[in-house]
Amino acid sequence: MLRVLVIDELEARAGEICAGLALAGHQVAALLPTAADLTRRVEEIGPDVILIQTDAPSRDTLEHLAVINAAAPRPVVMFAKNRDGRVMRKAFKAGVSAYVVDGLTPGRLAPVIDVAIARFEEHQELRRERDVATQALAERKTIDRAKGVLMKARGMDEQAAYAALRKLAMDRGQTLGRAAADVVEMAKVLL
Amino acid sequence: MDSKSGFNRRDFLLASAGTGLMAMVPPGVRSGAWAAGSDAPEKKEVRIGFIPLTDCSSVVMAAVQKFDEKYGIKIIPTKEASWASVRDKLVNGELDAAHVLYGLVYGVQLGIGGPKKDMNILMTLNQNGQAITLSNQLKDKGATDGTKLAALIAKKEREYTFAQTFPTGTHAMWLYYWLAAHGINPMKDTKIITVPPPQMVANMRVGNMDGYCVGEPWGNRAIVDNIGFTAVTTQDIWVDHPEKVLGTTADWVAKNPNTARAMTAAIIDAGKWIDASLGNKQKTAETVANKAYVNTDADVIVARMLGRYSNGLGKTWDDKNAMKFFSDGNASFPYLSDAMWFMTQHKRWGLLKDDPDYLAVAKKVNRIDIYKQAATAAGVAVPKSDMRSHKLIDGTVWDGKDPKKYAASFKVHA
Repeated sequence: MLRVLVIDELEARAGEICAGLALAGHQVAALLPTAADLTRRVEEIGPDVILIQTDAPSRDTLEHLAVINAAAPRPVVMFAKNRDGRVMRKAFKAGVSAYVVDGLTPGRLAPVIDVAIARFEEHQELRRERDVATQALAERKTIDRAKGVLMKARGMDEQAAYAALRKLAMDRGQTLGRAAADVVEMAKVLL
Repeated sequence: MDSKSGFNRRDFLLASAGTGLMAMVPPGVRSGAWAAGSDAPEKKEVRIGFIPLTDCSSVVMAAVQKFDEKYGIKIIPTKEASWASVRDKLVNGELDAAHVLYGLVYGVQLGIGGPKKDMNILMTLNQNGQAITLSNQLKDKGATDGTKLAALIAKKEREYTFAQTFPTGTHAMWLYYWLAAHGINPMKDTKIITVPPPQMVANMRVGNMDGYCVGEPWGNRAIVDNIGFTAVTTQDIWVDHPEKVLGTTADWVAKNPNTARAMTAAIIDAGKWIDASLGNKQKTAETVANKAYVNTDADVIVARMLGRYSNGLGKTWDDKNAMKFFSDGNASFPYLSDAMWFMTQHKRWGLLKDDPDYLAVAKKVNRIDIYKQAATAAGVAVPKSDMRSHKLIDGTVWDGKDPKKYAASFKVHA
């Protein structure tokens, strides 16, 4: 078991990582959202490993602790912005981003990193799904409004309005959502 | 060939014959190589990392003013959040090169605290233009200069905290050197923390430290925001000290020697352009003040770039040793003595346990061969010697002659 300190400004992602670490049998010593007064906090908490984002400015602060004190925990860089797990895993393999504290073998560290990466990928996947779902929902709303416009202005029933929209989209080589948005926009000017 | 450069083609061929890839090329082919301008860059687009500081200017302006196009490449300046991140991205190849602290490159070369990797320095990006800021609380206690600060610290009323930007970096070394010159042992008498440059002012505002050393504009920002004052500029610690360098890995240069030369030449051109006139400096300040780069007011940057200093205690002066990017090719030359100085200080403060082979390491890392090719391509003069000599604030002279003895000569050390 390793005592792990997680530093991440994104609470949802950090929460998942903490959960994953706990499931893997590690103890989350603390979760810090920001890096204010980091030196003192790390000294107080005394973790074995620190997980931090690649692009976090406070990495330099941790670097200093590691250089000054050979027994200080080394930061383990967890993930980078907009970067998929494969790249990071390659970087870890190259030994770039994980600095191993004396007495802590890379082998023991690997599961921590694996958990972190897996959770990060999951988080990314969830966000992608959410984005797709949010967009689909917004599109459906627009299509409904466009149908409403056509039904009111042209006296169509719902099916005919939908067929008209679909034809418009096909004729113009647009998605249904885009054509619907145009109809709604147009309606604002004309009606 | 530019006769003023004091460096003709024949000298170049002699100088380069023994080094690197050129040595493997048959002489007949070699003479027709880069000098004829026929050697295309291996990589047309280069990503150069930078940290938001005034001294990233020559990298940014090389791209903005299109000096890169002249040498057949495109420079993409990439803003980075921390020096550790710059280091990692250089080592794993995400960045081609970077605006980086001189000492950091040697820290990586010697494996201090992190990954060890063979590094190269292609040129010095600037001299001068950093400062040590003390808080207004210290001013209220009468600590307005180094001597008075030493007296205050000696009273041991409380712990005093000082910040620098990276454990092996330049700001750490200027801070330690200045404190030690006043009899303060940074390792024993003070607490040292590391804070990223753009966060210095905010950290001082909330009382996280009593003083810090960082590059401009973050010294001047503290004065403008009325939270601290400039106790000393780094040019007053060492006139024309080396600061940031254009750093990359040895592997990268071995793979992309033509691009390395093109990139260096473009940045030499940019530095020359910045230093050429007040108007150019003004334009540079306005450009780098932008959100995409340093993200602060142009006024805060331009004052000290032009050498118009005020220290926040009522003193104003024109500093002829303000930040220099070119200085007739003296500021950009990667002197071996400069490189060795950082290693001597790493040894002095216990970051290195043993003396490295100072000169051998410096010769390996500082690619004077590539710099000379780039300087020739840009038509600028190259200094006659790879070493220079300066007297620092404590009266000691550093001339690069006996680094081991020099490293051991300081009374105050780790």
